[in-house]
Amino acid sequence: MNGWLLAATVELGGAGAAALWGTATGPLPRRVMAQNLATSAVCPALLLLAQGYGRPSYVDLALLMALLGPVGTLVFARLLADELLDDRPRAWTLTWAAAGLSAAVVVAVCVATGPSRAMVKLLLIGALLIGGNVIASRALAGGFRGVRGA
Amino acid sequence: MADAVIVVALLLVAASATAAVAQREPARQALVLSVLGVVLAVLFTVLQAPDVGLSQLAVGSALTPLLIMLSVRKVRRQARAKDRAR
Repeated sequence: MNGWLLAATVELGGAGAAALWGTATGPLPRRVMAQNLATSAVCPALLLLAQGYGRPSYVDLALLMALLGPVGTLVFARLLADELLDDRPRAWTLTWAAAGLSAAVVVAVCVATGPSRAMVKLLLIGALLIGGNVIASRALAGGFRGVRGA
Repeated sequence: MADAVIVVALLLVAASATAAVAQREPARQALVLSVLGVVLAVLFTVLQAPDVGLSQLAVGSALTPLLIMLSVRKVRRQARAKDRAR
């Protein structure tokens, strides 16, 4: 067991359990925010796993998760808009903490990879992950009030 | 020792699946279900089946919650329309 796998295990256990606890209990706004943060909690673990197993192709999973996680959150933000109207979910400290964690993991894996095409892909995943996370958090907090259909 | 990550992923899957079943309201169930989809994808990756994980990720994290939430919304609208007709 190398250090990457150990880091992935710790990250997955801690952040995954916290996200699951937040999603399964408490009021609805907290649940939606925890579901949002589950993506940015698990995605770095996938990057660490890819590095730990020494298989760069596993990075595709992290790429897909960085793309689809915010999409899933936006689905909830749109379809639960009426329930979330009075009590907006806001967790900017946690959002930026998750973004910082993702950035740290991406930088660490980039340093281990060295300058190459794989590093560009990792940087792209990091940008997608942090950008998507912030956009989804903003949508949940009611930042895009102008975009409201039916 | 490398099995530790498999154990963690298995525990997370078991916990989230139990939590998804224990919820009473469909919207909250869909939220837990999307977390279950993400955790299942990690479990497949850890078991060296990333191709299965990819499809699970696509279906579990965005598609299943979308379908459930759309049907919940439709049922609620029909119930509201019925109340209004009364």
